[in-house]
Amino acid sequence: MPEATTGTTWLDDLRAEALKAYEAEPVPTWRRSGFWTTSLRDLDLDALETRHYELSDIPPPALADALGEDEVGAIIVQRGATTIHVEVAPELTEHGVIVCSLETAVKEHPDLVREWYMRRLSHEEGKFAAAAAAFWTGGVFIYVPKDVKVERPIQTAYVIDEPGVAQYAHTLAIVGENSECSIREYCLGTAIDGQALHAGAFELYARPGSNVRLAHFHDWGPDEIYDISTKRVEIARDAHVDWVPVHLGGRLVKQVLDIVTAEQGSDMRHTGLYFTERDEHLDLFTTDRHEQGHTTGDTVWKGALTGNSRASYEGLIHIVPNAQESHTYLQTHQMLLSQKAKGDAIPSLIVETDSVSASHGGTVGELDEEQIFYMMSRGISRPEAVRVLVEGYFEEVVQRLSDEGMKGLVRQRIARKLEAAEDQVAEFIDSRVRVDKTAPPAEVAP
Amino acid sequence: MSLEIKNLHVRIEEREILHGVDLTVEKGQTHALMGPNGSGKSTLANTIMGNPNYEVTDGQILFNGEDITEADPDERARAGLFMAFQYPATIPGVSVANFLRLAVNARRDEPMKVKDFGKFMRENVDMLKIDPSFVSRYLNEGFSGGEKKRAEILQMAMLKPEIAVLDETDSGLDIDALRVVADGVNALTGPDLGSLIITHYTRILNYVRPQFVHIMLDGRVVREGGPELADELEEKGYDFVREEVAAGNA
Repeated sequence: MPEATTGTTWLDDLRAEALKAYEAEPVPTWRRSGFWTTSLRDLDLDALETRHYELSDIPPPALADALGEDEVGAIIVQRGATTIHVEVAPELTEHGVIVCSLETAVKEHPDLVREWYMRRLSHEEGKFAAAAAAFWTGGVFIYVPKDVKVERPIQTAYVIDEPGVAQYAHTLAIVGENSECSIREYCLGTAIDGQALHAGAFELYARPGSNVRLAHFHDWGPDEIYDISTKRVEIARDAHVDWVPVHLGGRLVKQVLDIVTAEQGSDMRHTGLYFTERDEHLDLFTTDRHEQGHTTGDTVWKGALTGNSRASYEGLIHIVPNAQESHTYLQTHQMLLSQKAKGDAIPSLIVETDSVSASHGGTVGELDEEQIFYMMSRGISRPEAVRVLVEGYFEEVVQRLSDEGMKGLVRQRIARKLEAAEDQVAEFIDSRVRVDKTAPPAEVAP
Repeated sequence: MSLEIKNLHVRIEEREILHGVDLTVEKGQTHALMGPNGSGKSTLANTIMGNPNYEVTDGQILFNGEDITEADPDERARAGLFMAFQYPATIPGVSVANFLRLAVNARRDEPMKVKDFGKFMRENVDMLKIDPSFVSRYLNEGFSGGEKKRAEILQMAMLKPEIAVLDETDSGLDIDALRVVADGVNALTGPDLGSLIITHYTRILNYVRPQFVHIMLDGRVVREGGPELADELEEKGYDFVREEVAAGNA
């Protein structure tokens, strides 16, 4: 069993409650009407352990490849259960910005942590939310005081690079009144021979008038890393958050991503992207929740599927009673690129008040044959046409990533996945064309 | 240097649309193929370019003497064929400039240097009097009818085909846009280009003068002649041709 005490009474009490919840809950299976089931039957939970590592002067190789080249404001890296690397630019510290492990923050900034920790999260949200709350080690704490503009990005990373690891993670971020910053969280796995688990919690509080760019980059690699996480963003009065989660790999990823416009004038933009391949299973549920009137939102999620992969995106707009004059929009698209892939893209709406505008739309489609023909008529080969069309499809989302390094990284990984799937995509397209060509000849009237 | 179509029979889904078409376009010539809606003009254009939804059941398409009836569209394009689409596809997320670079490089062994390509593109944009900001827009996304045709002509200018098929290049255009397109076609017409302009109306022929005119009805080329045939058609209409053909067959 992972360590459950931190030496801080209030926190230990919370962890003890979470542990009880964890032990009381069975391993869940998530089912939704229709064909969709997310099951952990292939995960051998008992074989996993929290594992500690040596500290390191440099970020691990898995991360070094992924990070952009722009100047970093701060970087904090957790490998397995240990925060192995922390680096904060002096100019951030001078302005009172704190970036450290959550463990450290509990000791050094107890009042701040206690004020915000799990305000919007609960250990009662299922077995893995309880596990994260009971067992997290390391963790990340980000605090930007009021009236501070942080130009350079604050980067956090959770890395799994060995089999048998259970990583319980918790990121707590508070961006003060009228402050601005960019936060990028990387969840990275390498090729491992075996299973591993990341059970994570993420919470961001964007205080009144603040402006936050937030990106989550997930690529758990080609092997059997599972990720079951909850991420929640709260936006206070007149604050704005632009959130871009990207999902590019993992054996099974089940995430709940919620964005709450909590006070008047709060505004969010939420743009997500996923690409699944091989036997990957991705299950995403996002909520755009409006808790007060005069709040605005704009959500776009796009995905593509190859191989035997499964991907489900469910996006809910929830406008609570008395949140009049909320205006929001949710759109989701999914593109199937192989015959065996299966997906679902479901927008839904709960509106409990009047005088709002909320619209949503969802499509599941395939590559358009007319577009491929058009490109080929210009001399572009079929695989190249497919690559360009899929990249173009994602470009709207990629453009919303504020940083060139991450844009490049996303484009490069998508290109690599498409290249790996080239044959099956071609086969898929051919199979659809052939249907027309093998149609029986028309009966000729005598 | 020529495109030869011999006894071409084409089926889409279960219906035969072309019932034996013969047509030859030599490099340096301008041809007009005219016909009413549903006569098979667009089917011919799509089949020449190799659209997989159209199935050739008999006959041949030869390009510079080589049989390309079964060739993929990209092979045909790289060999020097071009088609300006009646309804060009929208390519979201891909700018006109990026698309052009892909297409230009697809027919070269070594990709063009970015700087050289930029210069080459600017020259053509200037020649066709296109607003330079046009090339940074996503190809055909939110384009007006005129902008779509301009994008087609710009591609044609930069890809320098030997034979170009322009499918209803004048459809849906107001008179100013039509003139821009016609000027573009005229600027590209010369000894190095053979073109087949496919149109329902004769109005583009007020600006582009073909040497040869073919009239298509019900999947067959029923009359051929010089430019005077277009004038006759303008005056008398398709019904006249139809009656004439019926009388001739009787």
